Amino acid sequence: MNLSPKLRYVASRLVTTILVLLCATVLLFALTLLIPGNPAEVLLGPRATPEAVQAYSHAMGLDRPLLERLAIFLGNVLRGDLGRDIISGRPILDLVLEVFPYTLSLTLAAIGLAVLLGVPLGCYAATHPGSLADQVGAVTSVAFIAMPNFVVAVFLVLIFSVWLHWLPVLGVGRDGGWGDAALRLVLPALSLALSWVGYIARLLRASLLEVMGEPHIRTARAYGVAERRLVYRNALKLAAIPTVAILGLGVGRLLGGAIFAEIVFARPGLGTLVYDAINLRNYPVVQAAVLVVVGVFTLTNLLTDLSYLWLDPRLGRRLGQER
Amino acid sequence: MTMLSRRQMLGGTAATAGLMATGLPFPVLAASHTSVTFAITRDIQGLLAPPYRVGAIEGNIMRTVCQGLIRFKPGSFDWDLWAAKTLTQVSDTAIEFELNPGLQFHGGYGEMTADDVKFSFELFQKNRPDGKPADYAKDWAALDHVEVTGKYTGRIVLKTPSPQLWLVVLPDNSGLIISKKAWEAGCYRSDQQPIKLIGTGAYMLAEWVPNQRVVLKANPDWKGDKPGFPELVLQPVRDPKTAELALRANELQFTLIEPADAAEVQKQPDTSLLRQDSINYVWIGLNVEKPPFDNPKVRQAIRLAIDTDQVLAGAYNGTVKPAYALMAPGLLGYWADAPKPKPDPAAAKKLLAEAGHPNGFKCTLTLMSKPTYQAIGQIVQAMLADVGVQVDLQVLDAGAYYAAGQGEAGKKLDMALQRFGGKADPAFQTQWFVASQIGTWNWQRWNDPEFDEFSAKAAATNDKAERNRLYIEAQKRMEASGAYIWLTHEANIFAFRPWLRPAVLPNGDDMLYDRFTAI
Repeated sequence: MNLSPKLRYVASRLVTTILVLLCATVLLFALTLLIPGNPAEVLLGPRATPEAVQAYSHAMGLDRPLLERLAIFLGNVLRGDLGRDIISGRPILDLVLEVFPYTLSLTLAAIGLAVLLGVPLGCYAATHPGSLADQVGAVTSVAFIAMPNFVVAVFLVLIFSVWLHWLPVLGVGRDGGWGDAALRLVLPALSLALSWVGYIARLLRASLLEVMGEPHIRTARAYGVAERRLVYRNALKLAAIPTVAILGLGVGRLLGGAIFAEIVFARPGLGTLVYDAINLRNYPVVQAAVLVVVGVFTLTNLLTDLSYLWLDPRLGRRLGQER
Repeated sequence: MTMLSRRQMLGGTAATAGLMATGLPFPVLAASHTSVTFAITRDIQGLLAPPYRVGAIEGNIMRTVCQGLIRFKPGSFDWDLWAAKTLTQVSDTAIEFELNPGLQFHGGYGEMTADDVKFSFELFQKNRPDGKPADYAKDWAALDHVEVTGKYTGRIVLKTPSPQLWLVVLPDNSGLIISKKAWEAGCYRSDQQPIKLIGTGAYMLAEWVPNQRVVLKANPDWKGDKPGFPELVLQPVRDPKTAELALRANELQFTLIEPADAAEVQKQPDTSLLRQDSINYVWIGLNVEKPPFDNPKVRQAIRLAIDTDQVLAGAYNGTVKPAYALMAPGLLGYWADAPKPKPDPAAAKKLLAEAGHPNGFKCTLTLMSKPTYQAIGQIVQAMLADVGVQVDLQVLDAGAYYAAGQGEAGKKLDMALQRFGGKADPAFQTQWFVASQIGTWNWQRWNDPEFDEFSAKAAATNDKAERNRLYIEAQKRMEASGAYIWLTHEANIFAFRPWLRPAVLPNGDDMLYDRFTAI
């Protein structure tokens, strides 16, 4: 089959993504084997009789060969069957789907805030290198990068909720209105975003300074192209590539960070779901939630890879030369 | 400095101006007594039926929605009649009851009858719908059957005398009565969404949004005393610091706080504190099966090396009293004359040398990942280092911690910092330390036939004085083992709005939400 270079690039990334997901699923399955004790005993609790444990093991297929169990597990995952919660008896997929939108909205809000604040700061610092604002930005960025998220969160709550009474602390709102929900998203998203503002601003500044020194920019400047147009129309798209790569990885980091934010701000989400499940030894829920996070992380990285086709015209040319 | 108003701040950006246009409900700054929001440490888990409940969170909710034959008075272990008009122990193994007529189950499930009582109590002997045994089956282990003698009358027939029924079962969560008809219709089951908790109490479960809130609304058909508030909201807040901050921001009106934070919270305006001695018990347990703790001299040395008063001062900021035995003051079986050992590092070193460890040894202290417990661990670590014992702290989250002490894994434990919840009857406390609990909750793996015998006899006699004597004897056996270094019975400290009058049981863990009132 004669595929275009870009299509081959997309196909290779898709195959890699599928392999990563498959490996992660197998690894997760393997990790459940490391849980001390018989899973059936863990699930049924200390009062279970040996007969009950045996019957449950048989019903759950725990007495089958390992490879057969793995095949069943993979088949179930492919069908969207993540098993049943051992405490409530509900399908785990339902539990995950109930809370995942909250985690996703928090992660996206945090990235959005980080980009919204970090990109202008980075651009300003790059166009005014060595200025007082650049130096203050550098110190502030490093400070926020170094400060643990939960410390930032506590300070934000103290300032905006306890002292000023401007913003609420808990939950996602009760009236179902998007306004209330958005308001309750501000502090958790900001506590996650602040360290990323620093990352993005510093990375973009460095990239922009590098791109602004390249021959085609110098040529454009010599032809009298306005500096603002040079920065925002020509240089920024190229300078954004490392930032986009970092953001791709950042989604994973933020999903992990969202767990802490959900605990601190008492929000529903994958984080609180996993936290409660770990405390109650509800391993199937932990396994499923981690699988979802891995899936989102992997897909985000796929989208990041594919975005280079649009961001970097040189990639398309390089792929063409490789034919 | 000029302080920006919220309106000025919001007016500064188009986005937030857009939010304002939607008519945002900003945090309430004035107390509204139509609704009270309580912090709970986790969300509801599992079935909302008494035999299959997971823990105190579900129990507190069920006790607000359902009725038992009797119930505890706030702040005491005395009980009042509740759903029952009369409740009489007619023999060592029989209790007769008569229900108040006209108690209507919520949701149109009809009137409570003796059939519902029979169904509710006998359900404890049945497995969950998924085959899992009832977690609280032991509460009704003495039950033979319930005889229905009339529409509102019946007899609880026991296999053996069971005095603990009057303190840890009938007035507590395992004595709550659910509707047989509602159960058969699929209520109480978490796999049937939305879950329905059907009772006859002052409040109804109006809404449960998983991981967000539980809303209880006053039952309009309730014939008893008027509930304190039209609505109660239970908000899962897993982090105690968040709960404290949310209380200060007036998003919560009642929460448990960490003892170490009490002094700081007390300084806050418009905040009251309630300190309640608990009947729980915290101790350091030594695995008597595993060397070197199989040597009584080593156990004695460890005990002499630990200064309990210093541990409590450091970890609890002096907010709790020391414990010297299993039973807390005020309980039947409280051993007032229990030894109060003085720390003596020199004697501890001497004992270690006699036990063949002149240079000490290395071991691990397993504990749950909570700030207070970690502080205890670090202080104990330093104290034992003074006598040559090097302690590694194994700090685990709850799931891993419980797995570490049970089954085969429990054999590998050296020392564990443990905390169990207490109940009003001593039988509840002693049940975890018998030989049959080795591998389950008896993490010290201590096997003492005499202790088991004292516990069994005490649990099966209705003679109060004899029970008291037997439980003290049982605690003497624990003391002689040297496997238990008692630290405290804890105290719970609640922070709340001054206009709220709380109703908490003396164990400090159980709330009577339906008896909270406004002052």
